[in-house]
Amino acid sequence: MDTQDERAGGPPADSMRREQFTFTGTGREYFGIWIVNILLTIVTLGIYSAWAKVRRNRYFYGNTRLAGASFDYHARPVQILIGRIVVLAILILYNLTATFVPVASGILGVLFLFALPWLVMRGLRFSARMTSFRNVRFDFTGGYGGAFLAYILGGLLTWGSLGILAPIASQWMWRYTLDNLRYGDRPIDCDPRLEKLYGQFVMPAAVFVIGLVVVVVLGVSIFSLASGIGLDLEDFSSDFAVGGILLAIYGAFLPFFLLFVLVSLLYSAGARNVALSETVIDGQHLLASHIGRWRYAWIAISNFFATLFTLGLARPWAAVRMSRYLAGVTVLYSAGSLDDFFSTVKQSEGVVGAEYMDIEGLDFGF
Amino acid sequence: MASDATDRKAISGVWYAPQTSRAVKATLRLEDGERLIARDEAGAALASCELPAAAFSDRVGSIPRRITFADESVFETNDNDSVDQLMRPLATRGAGFVHSLERFHPRLAVFVVLVALLAAAIYRFAVPVLVEVAVLVTPPVVPELLSSSTMTTLDSTVFEPSKLDAETQKEIAEGFDRLAAASAGGADGYSLNFRKGGHIGPNAFALPDGTIVLTDELVEMANDNETILGVLAHEIGHVDHDHSLRQIYRAAGVTGLILLIGGDVGAGVEDILIQGSALLQLRHSRSAEAEADRFSIELMHRTGHDPLAISRFLELIRDKLGDTSESDFLSTHPATPSRIEETKRYAEELTAAVPD
Repeated sequence: MDTQDERAGGPPADSMRREQFTFTGTGREYFGIWIVNILLTIVTLGIYSAWAKVRRNRYFYGNTRLAGASFDYHARPVQILIGRIVVLAILILYNLTATFVPVASGILGVLFLFALPWLVMRGLRFSARMTSFRNVRFDFTGGYGGAFLAYILGGLLTWGSLGILAPIASQWMWRYTLDNLRYGDRPIDCDPRLEKLYGQFVMPAAVFVIGLVVVVVLGVSIFSLASGIGLDLEDFSSDFAVGGILLAIYGAFLPFFLLFVLVSLLYSAGARNVALSETVIDGQHLLASHIGRWRYAWIAISNFFATLFTLGLARPWAAVRMSRYLAGVTVLYSAGSLDDFFSTVKQSEGVVGAEYMDIEGLDFGF
Repeated sequence: MASDATDRKAISGVWYAPQTSRAVKATLRLEDGERLIARDEAGAALASCELPAAAFSDRVGSIPRRITFADESVFETNDNDSVDQLMRPLATRGAGFVHSLERFHPRLAVFVVLVALLAAAIYRFAVPVLVEVAVLVTPPVVPELLSSSTMTTLDSTVFEPSKLDAETQKEIAEGFDRLAAASAGGADGYSLNFRKGGHIGPNAFALPDGTIVLTDELVEMANDNETILGVLAHEIGHVDHDHSLRQIYRAAGVTGLILLIGGDVGAGVEDILIQGSALLQLRHSRSAEAEADRFSIELMHRTGHDPLAISRFLELIRDKLGDTSESDFLSTHPATPSRIEETKRYAEELTAAVPD
């Protein structure tokens, strides 16, 4: 504990070698992979999606480089395909039950809440074991309890406290995902301290409060202006009016939604900085992250709109842009050679959890 | 071709012993025509195996290529082209072909157009077909379960028993039975239920198993049995056309397709697509209303009732509820001018075509 705090708190020693993560993919190159993935997925009625996932992950992992070597992703498409089919079948069954027997869906929902940590645990394990760096696989040793704490209780805590206890939840989350990670036969330690996470919480919280006031004041004045002019929605032809009202509803929620997204981005970037900067590999190599929070939020939001306005065509560029930025702000301070790691993982199972996370879009940002 | 020369050319890269992270600078070449050998800088052999026994990772963009020897040691190189040449004697599988498709080339523009066309075609043709198939294979127990659970929920939350006097109920029920007898499901195919609507107010709706609910408030508002029968005929139309099942399946189908095909579009954009498809559902619910309107007109006409009953009801909604503006537009039975006109036109057309 003590030694770790010293390391995590203090600056890296001079003797350490600074290794910068880099991302070498290009939008031009990924565009081809991306569009062929979509085309073949449609043409094969979805079956190719498993191959598509492997190619996409291999492209992003393979282009993430550190100290002259790159990461790699080893899952076999057939594994992924089976996992997808199982998850899809369960989701369909669940949705059908929820639609047709609402009473049963309540019970299923509770069951599902308890199954979720298990799925997350298996999913993280699968992803870790399928990832290698310099020919050595990662592994994940987290259990059910930690996942329950990080994903169920953490979520409840965050929403229940209107975000005020979010740092506690992110402490659980990062501890679970990173502290349980192993690189080959060596442990990875991650213990983000609460006071540091709260340090990252202040600015986003202030942005939220100020933003809320601005949005409400603007909203009220626009609304009173509109009713002052006597905007009469009933004069519009029917279809147009429905569109107009939906636009009004979405328009009213959009500013709140955007504010929420902005604040989440600002906070999660700060939390990543804290968590990675308190991560130690094999007791000696230090990770560090120095995301610019506003820059990160800008990249994420502008990526989203660029993708939307180009009907998706800018997505490859956007994805590469984000990876490039995240790699560029992540550093490893190595205390010695990276040569002496040994892979302990040979076999892996449990693709279902990983596919569940993939289909449901759960993202762990590591 | 100069295949002999390329055989002898060494590929430079690094070699890893099985399961270790120690990178050894090495070269890879095919010796004696088919034996793959990795050697260190001093020329000592690190690993070797027959060419077919080595596993080559697929080429993806320009990421490093992994060649795994039979002993599980790995040679890694950035020289993708040389590896492709090395692999040439092997029967190439699909992966090399996929990589050639993915190269940056004007062909990719064609792929973009193809994707757009295919996506539109799926939405326009495949989804409706899938929905029809799903409706056809749905066993009757499904709509029954769906309906009974919805009724139970509504009864325990919003509805109260009807306060209508027995005579009014009897009159409406008799008219309803005549309409039902003249419909596809027959007299037993539909059941009429009277309820006090509570805060959902004047309303009538149909559940997929033929359960039709009529609220006291609607009966009071219409205050005319003929008009009420027009509404009930409209609801029978919803049942006969399986509108609610179709709606459920369409929503599920479109969401599923977006999740499946969407691939890497980014989390936010995926949500937008799903929300957007939900908005498009409204168009379908409107066409379902129009279909049920026409059904009402036909059924009323066929059973010797007034085909204009549904138009009168729509006008009634417009006049009585019209000024509650916004909520009305989003309701399932919008009394819009175009809808009223359309029902009148159709009723006239029908009575003119078949003069009594």
